[in-house]
Amino acid sequence: MDAGRNLLPTRLKGNRWLRRSGTLIGFLIVVIIFTLNNPSTFLTLPNWLNISQQVSMLAVVAFAMTIVMVMGDFDLSVGSMASLAGILAALLFRAEQPLAVGILVALGAGLIGGLINGLLVSYVGITPFVATLGTLTIFSGAAFLFSGGETIFGRDIPAEFSGFARTGLPIGTVNERPLLFPAMTILALVVLGIIWLLLEQTTYGRRLYAIGGNAEAARLAGVRVRLLRLIAFMLTGLGAATAGLMYASRVASANPTQGAGLMLDAIAAVFLGMTLSEEGEPHVLGTLLGVLILGVLDNGLTQMQVDSYVREILIGGIIIGAVTSSSLSRRNR
Amino acid sequence: MPTLTPLLSIQHTSKTYDGTPALVDAALDLMPGEVHALMGENGAGKSTLIKILAGVVRPDRAEIRIDGQPVSIHSPKEAYDRGLRFIHQELQIVPQVSVAENLALSQPYPRWLGVLVDWRKLHQQANRALERLGISHIDPRQSMARLSVGDRMLVKIASAFANSTQAASIYVLDEPTAALNAAESQRLFAVIRELKTQGCGILYVSHRMDEVFEICNTVTVMRDGRVISTQAIQQTSRGGLIRLMTGREVSHAYPPRTQPHGQQVVLEGHGLLNGVDFQVRAGEILGIAGLAGAGQSELLKAIMGALPATVGTLSLEGQPMTPAHPADGWEKGFAFVPQERREQGLVLSRSVRENISLPHLRRLSTSGVLLDVGRETRLADDLSKQVRLKATSNRQLTRQLSGGNQQKVVFARAMAGQPRLLLLDEPTRGVDVGARFDLYTLIRQASIDGTAILLASSDLGELLGLCDRILVLRRGRGATVVKAAGLTQHDLLALCYG
Repeated sequence: MDAGRNLLPTRLKGNRWLRRSGTLIGFLIVVIIFTLNNPSTFLTLPNWLNISQQVSMLAVVAFAMTIVMVMGDFDLSVGSMASLAGILAALLFRAEQPLAVGILVALGAGLIGGLINGLLVSYVGITPFVATLGTLTIFSGAAFLFSGGETIFGRDIPAEFSGFARTGLPIGTVNERPLLFPAMTILALVVLGIIWLLLEQTTYGRRLYAIGGNAEAARLAGVRVRLLRLIAFMLTGLGAATAGLMYASRVASANPTQGAGLMLDAIAAVFLGMTLSEEGEPHVLGTLLGVLILGVLDNGLTQMQVDSYVREILIGGIIIGAVTSSSLSRRNR
Repeated sequence: MPTLTPLLSIQHTSKTYDGTPALVDAALDLMPGEVHALMGENGAGKSTLIKILAGVVRPDRAEIRIDGQPVSIHSPKEAYDRGLRFIHQELQIVPQVSVAENLALSQPYPRWLGVLVDWRKLHQQANRALERLGISHIDPRQSMARLSVGDRMLVKIASAFANSTQAASIYVLDEPTAALNAAESQRLFAVIRELKTQGCGILYVSHRMDEVFEICNTVTVMRDGRVISTQAIQQTSRGGLIRLMTGREVSHAYPPRTQPHGQQVVLEGHGLLNGVDFQVRAGEILGIAGLAGAGQSELLKAIMGALPATVGTLSLEGQPMTPAHPADGWEKGFAFVPQERREQGLVLSRSVRENISLPHLRRLSTSGVLLDVGRETRLADDLSKQVRLKATSNRQLTRQLSGGNQQKVVFARAMAGQPRLLLLDEPTRGVDVGARFDLYTLIRQASIDGTAILLASSDLGELLGLCDRILVLRRGRGATVVKAAGLTQHDLLALCYG
């Protein structure tokens, strides 16, 4: 009996490690399964560059979402902000404004939208769920109103703008066609770098984590909680607008509903990433893994010709499974 | 004299967590009509023992008898049914509902026709329970959230005594007076004495010597998971108990002032909280005394800028100031140790290092933005050493530290860069004896270094032992400042009632 008890700690420790890395291991298993199923196509550089481009917009939204989720908040309005930003830029392009004006106005809208969210959450004191649910509806309505409910496309969208999603850094040739490292992927990586630096290496990020851990203790230790929270929502809004522009560039059009799917996937990606950290806190590198899991599943299951509805059920199940296992490991501590 | 059967007898009780022994072959007898003190530093095994009695933790081995009958306690419900009542350190209350409902949590509500709650009866029950403790200032219909910490504790204590229809014979009080002021404590002691005459047994956990000598018959000391000794209270002394608890000699509880404090007035307040005036000089320790809710915390928070602008004026070294945010306070060289270390002091999910550096990040970064982790680590290590922190490293999560060490982290943060003014709100609440002496030494050292200190405490011995002068707050009836030298606890308490 005594011997059995002595074994217990070691076994538990092993399990803890396994649970914490469960998401990463699960990801590797998924990659192996897809590789075995599509040996000639899945684990190839062109396919992974393709995945990286496909997930780049989700990635930017999810990285930006991580900023508010570090404080324990979240932003439901990112999807409709992305749509609104795309519509605003396209409308300005149609009005023959220069490229820079369209882009800057769209990004400005992201900042202002985030400012509204931040004011509501931080200074008015509404919970993020209600505040951003409200602005989600407002931004979405505004996108429909400005666009007249129609898709803006064709000659209205300048070629320089839609060309961005099609360019990249040449890194070699495949079948005599140049292989490009997509500009969209580069942009997403730049955003990743900035947000990583912000959250992990600056006083601002450190303070955000303190707010997320205990807002009152942070305030009494001299952290200006309200102001920092406001700024965090603005940054998330800016990220959402960036993703909206990327989307519009990629499909060379703007539609008042095109960002709609981003919000849930972004939150899911952050949650998947949170399972990697001991204390269940969001980190932007964890979010990157979450984004990759969603993107790889999408890509692999499509190649295996799995029905998209089945895909959704699978992804939902994986999110619940990953978060359950990591919260179980924390409870056992 | 006939041998009495103990009400509660614990023998050969052990518990190991992850290979670390928390309780080793513990034994303790609680006799009818006995108030039995259980003392020891944090981590000595008191909490584990109590949790086993409460049916919260399952022992590896245990022989527990109640009234001579062997029992095993598998759940809190079983503990309750066997007549055990617990009052824990951490308040277990439901803040959203009324006092009366909190009192009735562990029992069925009185009902009309078995369905509708009979509120009138519920409130009467609550009133009776409160009256037993001599509490008349709490309205049972009030929401729990509106009460002060001290009042909440009183309600919680009342709830353990509330249901007198069910036979309860053993009360386990785990630091019941931690949040109570002297008067409230006296009320509690009166109730304990009454229970004693009824033949109940009381197991009493406390870090406060005065209480133990005032109320207890027997004292058991634990250290490192073992029961070190059980003695009649008359056969022991404070020094003896401290020696047993810490395993070392502690000559002076309160390190004495070795040199006179400075003359320069650091902070001056006028008309704060409707009529509080005070001055505190460099190196001086100004105590803040008063009954619970007399405004001690509000005063400190107002100075720090943590409460919205109140009445009155403050001036710092002669310059008027109006702090609007705790950031302003830290910026001016004030340091703050708030009352509730878990709720207000620490970010438990972050490391020792990050908790220490939090108010000082600007100084530990390149142009206020980019963190300099090397400098931060050095600061955290230096301060950890200074406060004698016991942690595996500066990366350990504060959640994993004992209460005393958590408080040392809050202190370490406050000591960084020699603050101009140190604001301490109940700095030793729930801190074990050994750590407490370390904190007293730190407070004294800061005063020697020239820091002006405001120390709010409900532990009168602490105020008299450390302070030069004491500001006595009396809600709505102004305040007085007295010199601490020559004052007795009785004098000070009388002033609080003033």
